[in-house]
Amino acid sequence: MITGFLNNSRGIGVRSHQLILPSVVCSTHLAKKVADQVGAITFSHQHGCGIIGPDVAGVNQFFVALASHPNIQSTVVLGLGCETLQGNEVTESITTHHPETEYVVIQESAGMAGALESSVATARALQEDFAPQHTELKTLTIGIEGFPESALINDFMRSAEETGYKTVLSNASKEPSKNFADLVRNKCHVIISFPDANQPPTGLPLIPVITIASSQSMLHQALASEFDFSSSLTASELLQKVVAVANGELTKCEAKKIGDIVVPRMVRSV
Amino acid sequence: MNLQNRDLQLTGFLRKNGRWGFRNYILVLPLHNALNQLADQVRLHHPGTAIITSVAHDWSGEVDSDWARISRVFSGFAINPNVGATIYIGIGTPAEEEILRGARARREMPITYLTLKDAGSFERLEQQVLESISEIFPLVASVKREPAPWSAMVLGLECGGSDAYSGITANPALGVASDKFVELGATSILAETMEILGAEHLLAARAKTPEVGQAIIDVVARYERSISYEGIDIRGAQPSRGNIEGGLTTLEEKSLGAAKKAGNAPFTGVLDYAHTPTAPGLYFMDTPGHDIEQLTGFAASDVNITVFTTGRGTPTGSAVIPTIKVATNTEMATALPDLIDLNAGTIADGTQTVLEVGAHIFDEIVAVANGKLTAAELGGHREFNLSRLYGSTL
Repeated sequence: MITGFLNNSRGIGVRSHQLILPSVVCSTHLAKKVADQVGAITFSHQHGCGIIGPDVAGVNQFFVALASHPNIQSTVVLGLGCETLQGNEVTESITTHHPETEYVVIQESAGMAGALESSVATARALQEDFAPQHTELKTLTIGIEGFPESALINDFMRSAEETGYKTVLSNASKEPSKNFADLVRNKCHVIISFPDANQPPTGLPLIPVITIASSQSMLHQALASEFDFSSSLTASELLQKVVAVANGELTKCEAKKIGDIVVPRMVRSV
Repeated sequence: MNLQNRDLQLTGFLRKNGRWGFRNYILVLPLHNALNQLADQVRLHHPGTAIITSVAHDWSGEVDSDWARISRVFSGFAINPNVGATIYIGIGTPAEEEILRGARARREMPITYLTLKDAGSFERLEQQVLESISEIFPLVASVKREPAPWSAMVLGLECGGSDAYSGITANPALGVASDKFVELGATSILAETMEILGAEHLLAARAKTPEVGQAIIDVVARYERSISYEGIDIRGAQPSRGNIEGGLTTLEEKSLGAAKKAGNAPFTGVLDYAHTPTAPGLYFMDTPGHDIEQLTGFAASDVNITVFTTGRGTPTGSAVIPTIKVATNTEMATALPDLIDLNAGTIADGTQTVLEVGAHIFDEIVAVANGKLTAAELGGHREFNLSRLYGSTL
């Protein structure tokens, strides 16, 4: 049995993170300061302004996907004010489905000190007003990223599905942080990552990532202690680990805060 | 411009390649996004030591169509003259070694390369970085400021969040300061190709040679082609919504105002993104208008001070270049005081002339070069972006 968090309108997650979402590069440093003060998660990125064509809608949709994820308890969107992707529109797209969302804009907050103060107050109020409830999670969604051994993963997917869990595969890229974007959109609660031989173990702030080393990779063998599994394992061991992590056990990357959110981008900036 | 303070003197840190720095950082530069957090931790480990700086980015080792551009930035950023020593932290890949070779070939300085593969764990790598900082610290700190010639200055000109005042207050005032530096034998770099679109013929007419003039025209044409290749008309996407709210109506109007930052000096040359000028003078660099991609490109080109004019107000800065914010209007300068270093809105208020504000900007550049901290430095801003000509994902 999995006990998760009922994160209000976002449904049942296995974590209950507050997201400080900078809607433009110019507010990423403020977001870090706010997140550190209130114990929330955030990430740095280079988007939101100077973007064109498909990236305007694409970046917006990805921000909405992050903010709508079931592991998120509430979201504070931080904008600058004059950027291409307007933070109030990002916020509106989120609040349509998830009212536990607020917006702070630097250019209307009397500067950085004022923006920091009001963001922290806003974030704390959201944490208090929308505390999550412990609830049973029956339909766990498990993301699988990278290049697993087919025997192991076929066994795993079969037993996960027999238990009533859903699995989503993503291996379009050799870089885990890029495949994660797809798994965020699919609202995966937990991710199992089989990184490419030249990639280190990499996590994600909002979704716990279980990392599995490849026996063929010299890099992975040198970093064996940084993976959740570094030697051969069975499908049932892996499923047990997934359930333990869903119930709150921290993965290696989660404990060490390894890995950032990477925003997909289609074309050049202007 | 009548320079009243004729006894102004630049001071800086002389590097072995003959370039001058106005800061003396130890830079911790991660070469994979999984190491962003570690770089930040290492910097925070030295709370009283303002000379440790670091960046974060989204690159995770991909070698694709943008590799030449990305590796050039990772090499060039590390050897900016404001940096006394660099510690690269990587995974241990051939691509990282190529970046390292690029940096070492361009400047003789302490450059350390530590890898996760050799360290065997994140903790051990962090410990190695801390040990490396302790080792290098006395050497970096032993380099003292000394009087520097005007040619030490490599000034970057930038604008962002422009409004209808930009072209009549802050930008022409910055042009006055830029002209003075060029006259004194310094280097000044105008950039942001999108923001000279429509004004390129005026800049080309100021080129020192016909070849340089043609290069300015060509760079704009190449830019417009690369945008229309995506099926987008740039004139429909720009000016940005913030620009329009600030009173700008067309891209040409924005460009005519933006080009004013470069004053009236003749153009010595045109530089590709993140390429370094080799002789003093005024240059145009082909960069995106994106504020941080431009600033990162400047850092990789030996720019050691940037002046950034803004109408709407923006907090950003560089991990290695002091960035002076000049407000175009008094209303914003008053409303957002901790973002702004200097107000050029007094020109529109009628209390100061363009020449007077230009002289203030000149003095402020010298003061910041000599150690005065900017608003962005005080705010701890260290934005860093990798510029791409192609998409970063599938």
